[in-house]
Amino acid sequence: MRVNPNFTPDILTDLFQQQAQEQTYIEELSTGQSVNQPSDNPAAFAADVENQSLQSQTDQYLQNTSNLEGTLQTADSALSSVVTSLNQAISLGVQGGSSNLSSSDLQALAQQVQSIQGQVVQLANTSYEGSYLFGGTSTGSAPFALDSTQPSGVQYNGNTGVNNVEIAQGTSIQVNVPGSQIFQGTGGSVMGSLQQLVTALQSGNTTSIGTATTQVSNALNYLSQQRVFYGSAISQLDSNQSDLQQDQVNLQTQENTLVGANMATVATDLSQAQTAQSATLAALAQIIPQNLLSYLK
Amino acid sequence: MGSLSSSMWIAAQALDADQGALDVTSNNIANQNTPGYSREVAIFAEAAPTEENNVTYGNGVVLQQIQSITDQVLQIQIADQNQQQSSAQAQYNALQQVQTLFSNPTQGIGADFTAFFNSISQLSTDPASMPDRQAVLAAAQNLAGDFNSTEQNLDSIQSSLNQSVTQNVTQINTLTQQIAQLNVQVGQMQKLGQDPGSLGDQETQLIQQLSQLTNVNQIQTENGLTLTTGNGTPLVVGGQSFALQTTSGPNGMTDISSQGQDITSSLQGGQLGGNLQIRDTAIPSMLSQLDNLASQFSASMNAAQASGYDLNGKAGQPLFSDTSGPGAASNLTVAITDPSLIAASSDGTSGSNGNVANLMAVQSQALPSGEDPLDTYSSLVSQTGNLTDQAQAEVTASTASLNQLNDQLGSVSGVNLDEETTNLMNYQRAYEAAARVVSTVDELTQSVLDMGSGVTAAP
Repeated sequence: MRVNPNFTPDILTDLFQQQAQEQTYIEELSTGQSVNQPSDNPAAFAADVENQSLQSQTDQYLQNTSNLEGTLQTADSALSSVVTSLNQAISLGVQGGSSNLSSSDLQALAQQVQSIQGQVVQLANTSYEGSYLFGGTSTGSAPFALDSTQPSGVQYNGNTGVNNVEIAQGTSIQVNVPGSQIFQGTGGSVMGSLQQLVTALQSGNTTSIGTATTQVSNALNYLSQQRVFYGSAISQLDSNQSDLQQDQVNLQTQENTLVGANMATVATDLSQAQTAQSATLAALAQIIPQNLLSYLK
Repeated sequence: MGSLSSSMWIAAQALDADQGALDVTSNNIANQNTPGYSREVAIFAEAAPTEENNVTYGNGVVLQQIQSITDQVLQIQIADQNQQQSSAQAQYNALQQVQTLFSNPTQGIGADFTAFFNSISQLSTDPASMPDRQAVLAAAQNLAGDFNSTEQNLDSIQSSLNQSVTQNVTQINTLTQQIAQLNVQVGQMQKLGQDPGSLGDQETQLIQQLSQLTNVNQIQTENGLTLTTGNGTPLVVGGQSFALQTTSGPNGMTDISSQGQDITSSLQGGQLGGNLQIRDTAIPSMLSQLDNLASQFSASMNAAQASGYDLNGKAGQPLFSDTSGPGAASNLTVAITDPSLIAASSDGTSGSNGNVANLMAVQSQALPSGEDPLDTYSSLVSQTGNLTDQAQAEVTASTASLNQLNDQLGSVSGVNLDEETTNLMNYQRAYEAAARVVSTVDELTQSVLDMGSGVTAAP
């Protein structure tokens, strides 16, 4: 039977295919990925686009979490200082309530409580990276100002707005409590009770001083309840952080399943392709010079 | 009755015939690597005998014909496979350029979407922060910029395909002209029962080249071949070729017409068909998806902006320029330059992030086209991947079957050096033998002439 005497196109096609295959394996080995362009595996490539987006979103959630930790911890430690100040005010009130004090002693105590009042206002005006933490969503200017014309002794310039921040897919967390609720809440007004104590001490009325001291103590209890919000938010952020880190690991595993190359398999495939190529080359080298003319003289 | 002179005549004819056969062999060897060459075979036949006194004398040999060995059916199959292979190859080449636009999952429109929404998410932790607001603007600009460049790159791939289309038409016209010229000669030779030989090879070769450009139907008629496009538009009829014309269409793309009729959409197969397929179907579909995504996404973002308040307490202005229709993606721009205009607030206070939820919702809510922005984008990417993958598979498959057909044709028409060498030796020996006959007859003639000179008169 006659066969095609011109076999070079066939062998060249084989060689090109082997070389292309080798290049694919080498690319897979060097990138560590079996899917390097959409046509390698369209479905996996599209899924990888989504996966990359989720990884990047998770990074952002982690970033949000750590930003919020800063804010919430600053707020929490400010409130912790307020607690210390209020305890001082209570002991000053108890001291003022004892009957053997002179008027000037009471005035001195009143002044000390006034200075505590000033400290608390300062703490209520705590800011983090330029934003006031206890002004509701009005964060651009200090929310509290001393104002003796007000019954509580302060003017609240903030609002009652709250912000929520997404810290994981579908999970948002409230990140602030308005200052009016913390410091002038219905369950016990920090500002109001301090002002009441100052007034009582100035008046020297022992009964009023006692009542005012109880008010401060009530306000302290109420403040501590409000503080729980920050404490639990911080612990939610902590557990969220470890969840997100776990998500990242899962997403990376998923990415690897989608587009990662199995190095051992690819390396074996590459060496097989190389063997096949050298076999083809050897065959080509042997066949080409062989024809009848070589045997004629 | 046989005679020395007739022997001489027979030997001389044999020398002629063998020389002719040696020519054929030599021509075969010379053309062993010529594309489209079909091996030729010298066909010997006995010369008409003469009869004398009831004895029939053979009159030697004549070289009756030099025949080209080929297979018309295979040739037509190869032409068909050629147009499929060239079409797939042209599509694959173009699509490979297209898919590089989408080849990096950590860059481009998809990654920009995520980065943009991440920057808004970051802003929610500190809604009054100018650096965070600036970052949102920068991410929006990146996104718009990548929309612009992706569409522009698609446009430029489309217009380079358009240039190829024009070139393909020029090549087709040159080829049909050449084929028409050959067609007349080949047709005449076939009519006379002659083998068109190398002219036939040339014509076949030109038709194969034409098939690489477009799908060609071949119809054998009395006056040679009639060639038409796949849908019957004549290209060559007998000695006449019909040139295709190019005109610039309304969208800046070249339209192809024949005798005043637009046949652009009916052309299939070959490089031209492949180029047209990508230019007129694949890329326009991608462009319109990209345009829809750009206009629907920017409209959703602008609506979300409008539902909130900027840093100054004013109602949110559009973040992106209003853009729709063809070119929406390349016209997409960020409409604001002042970072304080990003409407993060839901109540007009600077510290509120209440509207961020609305802005972020665009990321996961379905656009009017049915999917959320990233899904819309990634399905465009996977479409591109699928098209490229299919084209690649088709190139591989059609190349394999083209090779197989060429092998079959080669087994019929290819020049085998061993065969030619064997023939060469055969004809050489035959020539030598015939030459020996000539010299033998010559010696005999000499003897006859010497018959007289050897006899001298008796003294």
